[in-house]
Amino acid sequence: MYLPAGIYHETYAASHAWWQTNFVRAKMALLVALVATLPLYASLYVVSVANITLYTILSALGVQLLIGYCGQITLGHAAFIAVGAYATAMGVLFWGLPYPVAMAVGCLLAGLWSALFGLPSARIKGFYMIMTTMAAQFITVDFIITKYVSRVGGREHYFSLPPGTITIGGWPVDSEVKVYYLASALTLLSLAGMANLLRTRVGRAWIAIRDNDIAAEALGVNVVYYKLLAFFAAGVLGGVAGAVWIPSLFFVSPEHFQLSWSVWLVGVVLIGGLGSLHGVVFGAIFVTVIPELLKFAVIPLSGVYPALTERFLYVKEAAFGLAIILFLLYEPRGLAYRWQQVKNYFNLWPFAY
Amino acid sequence: MEITPELTLPKLLLLTARHYGDRKVAMREKEFGVWRPITWRQYLEEVRVLALGFSALGLGRGDKVALIGHNRPEGLWAEMAVLAVGGVAVWLYQDCLLDEVQYIVDHSDARFLVGEGQEEADKALAIKPRCPKLERIVWDDPKGMRGYDDPCLVSLAEVRRLGRELDARDLEAFERMVAQGHGDDVALLFYTSGTTAQPKGALLTHRNMLKMGQSMLAVDPCGETDDFVSFLPFAWIGEQMMSISCGLMAGFTLNFPEDPETVQRDIREIAPQVLFSPPRIYEQMVRTVQVKVLDAPRLKRAAHNWALKVAGRVADLTFAKQDVPLLLRLGYRLANLVVLRKLRDHLGLSRTRHVYTGGAALGPDHLRFFHTIGVNLKQIYGQTEIAGISVLHRDGDVRYDTVGLPIPETEVRIAPDGEILSRSPCVFTGYYKAPEETARTIRDGWLHSGDIGFIDDQGHLVVFDRRKDVMTLADGSRFAPQYLETRLKFSPYIKDAWILGDRREAVTAVICIDAGVVGKWAEDNHIPYTSYAELSQKPEVQALVRDAVMHVNKGLPPAARIQRFANLHKEFDADDEELTRTRKLRRAFLEERYQDIVQGLYSGAREIHLETTVTYEDGRTSRTKHTLRVVEAA
Repeated sequence: MYLPAGIYHETYAASHAWWQTNFVRAKMALLVALVATLPLYASLYVVSVANITLYTILSALGVQLLIGYCGQITLGHAAFIAVGAYATAMGVLFWGLPYPVAMAVGCLLAGLWSALFGLPSARIKGFYMIMTTMAAQFITVDFIITKYVSRVGGREHYFSLPPGTITIGGWPVDSEVKVYYLASALTLLSLAGMANLLRTRVGRAWIAIRDNDIAAEALGVNVVYYKLLAFFAAGVLGGVAGAVWIPSLFFVSPEHFQLSWSVWLVGVVLIGGLGSLHGVVFGAIFVTVIPELLKFAVIPLSGVYPALTERFLYVKEAAFGLAIILFLLYEPRGLAYRWQQVKNYFNLWPFAY
Repeated sequence: MEITPELTLPKLLLLTARHYGDRKVAMREKEFGVWRPITWRQYLEEVRVLALGFSALGLGRGDKVALIGHNRPEGLWAEMAVLAVGGVAVWLYQDCLLDEVQYIVDHSDARFLVGEGQEEADKALAIKPRCPKLERIVWDDPKGMRGYDDPCLVSLAEVRRLGRELDARDLEAFERMVAQGHGDDVALLFYTSGTTAQPKGALLTHRNMLKMGQSMLAVDPCGETDDFVSFLPFAWIGEQMMSISCGLMAGFTLNFPEDPETVQRDIREIAPQVLFSPPRIYEQMVRTVQVKVLDAPRLKRAAHNWALKVAGRVADLTFAKQDVPLLLRLGYRLANLVVLRKLRDHLGLSRTRHVYTGGAALGPDHLRFFHTIGVNLKQIYGQTEIAGISVLHRDGDVRYDTVGLPIPETEVRIAPDGEILSRSPCVFTGYYKAPEETARTIRDGWLHSGDIGFIDDQGHLVVFDRRKDVMTLADGSRFAPQYLETRLKFSPYIKDAWILGDRREAVTAVICIDAGVVGKWAEDNHIPYTSYAELSQKPEVQALVRDAVMHVNKGLPPAARIQRFANLHKEFDADDEELTRTRKLRRAFLEERYQDIVQGLYSGAREIHLETTVTYEDGRTSRTKHTLRVVEAA
């Protein structure tokens, strides 16, 4: 970590503090202020884009934990988000639980469910792990949720959550702005929690397993235990994402949690940068904001080429696909690495090293 | 504060430590990545038990104790403990060869030797049979010491235990011991790294040390909140000046680096307010900047060069005491914001108030560089014999070619033959066991420095060079070789230079290239080489050095221009006795050792063949043959 001259510490606690310079403290205060005041001056459209970004961050956080920090490839994360979302919704709708309690139950269930599907990781790695996590996707969403859970209460394929259903201590979460505050608070909390978790014995064990599981085991890390713990933690984070998402959906349906979303999340992590929390945020912003910007690029062009509007979705998606390919070609270590490079450029100024 | 005749360094420690107690950190040592703090009370406590321990082992008033070790709190505690007992501390350079250690330990009549660990214990055991007066060898770091069972070995932990025992029996013992001290007692015995003969031992009293600190602080006050990094050998008077004299008087915090290898990084971490080093540290800093800028991408390099150009003009105008035009001042503000601030930060000089250089000559180009980047670098002039300092630059009155004005209570005058004489309460009491030398050096209370210089119209002292080194050029004028040498060393490619030309028809030079910088340059330019010796004789490298020499020649009177030079096949090394431990050239020795080169440079030969003896760090020697090419620079 780069520090300016004159920062020194007499204790380990001080030397491990997150924010050691006033510059960083000011930067962080500015970020919090920006997040807190965004709805005051931004349009509802911007807030809704921000909500999708926050949801993507929360969703991708678990994927980052598994792939980027524990080395367990997962293609079934949407299933655990679904468990969180469904458990929370059912808690509120059928059992009359307050939303925060229902959320806690949902997270716990999602975590346990994830740990259950993490069991095969005790024996298998790599491509085989992809297959088993995909199995989690199909078993959970396409089979259990679609066939059985969705039919609970005879509401056909989705649970409807009309505005006002979800309240926190009497405060109804019934608008995009309120969802925004809820989501941003939980995102900051989850990011801070993850950042700290990664510095503990647990986090270091995960990183050891990612780097070399045999060496980790030789060092005395209980590989199976920590892998399952990683799946559990990732499931809990998925549960948070699911629970946060339902107030802005007003209904829950299996269509929200398809395999495509699981794959998308892996894409977010790859674009952002594996093994970096910054990467999760950057990746989520990239995949959410760039398509929106492309939309603005396409709409004016449609006057000249009307065909664009008719096939609008495909052009946008194609351009986005191209962007991802270019990204992986020229920025294979992700946006977080580029961010680091930019910081280095200025930190080392006027030298190169 | 008033310095009474009775005041000693340990008495001052008692006062200071009682004043601050646990409220203030006296020193920090970087250990396992954090700066472990030691308060004044703990400092005093350590000194107390060690002092009592030493006295329990039989150390008495006036006894000499030799100390070897890196800069660590334990070293300072041991030194303070010796002074508290009433003994005399003799510091040795960590990298001294066995013969030097033996000479100093034997000559100083040291009864104890305090070493850091196994390496020092080995040295001490090796010389012990030839140093009959040496009784005890104290070691601190237990690493590797398990198998040693020589009865004269004592661990520092054992000394502490003995001290605690004595302390428990007699609560006032330490205070009584300290109270016996008198300001005129000898405190430190410094073996000056003689540029000619065997080292001489200069005796400095408590009063010398205290007065020096007082005068120095009167010019540049330091506060108790300041940080100082102690990384230079304790055997150097400058380090004692800061760590002991000024440290006790100003109460600033001493910081000890983790390792000799991490010094640069640790200095940057602390970002000290006060820094005092010999020129080599600053030369290294300048080289670092120069080399890193050469490797920087174009935009960064352009920004750096622009900023240094603007700031350099401002520095020149400020030195000439002229007004800086508004536009230039604005440019300087921008340069400071964009580049200079960052440069200071990289060098760890972002908080410095006073930065001193002393112990040898620093080139005017180096001094100008630091003032350009906004670092208040000042020259200190003095000898060990006058407790290290007699003349110092004042803030806002720094000039490239002078060393400044005398400090309070110090008189400086020039003898009719040009020798610099000084007189102050800090002048030493004499050389140990060398009354004739003492009589030669102190005459009528004036310290004869052996340096030639003059006092300019504004009272600044200008130091020319050592009297025996001043050259008489072909046109009869006198010239200081160190001026040429320091100018040459501003080139990042030149690490050391040795100028010849006294009473000869032309000035010539022997140059040591900087292995790191030139090596990297050769790599970048696809010039293959296998060794320093080969690299130094590459025609491309010689052309590179030739450019640097020509650049220096441009600003010189014709008679002083360097006509020819040869790149030496090795760097000068203190282990080969080519340099003193403070990196001063030992010219007489060099002339003798490299007489083939001297002859070659003046015989008109194109090549010089020589055979030399190389001394390795462990004392082994071997003979090698080399061919050096003579390069014409004019």
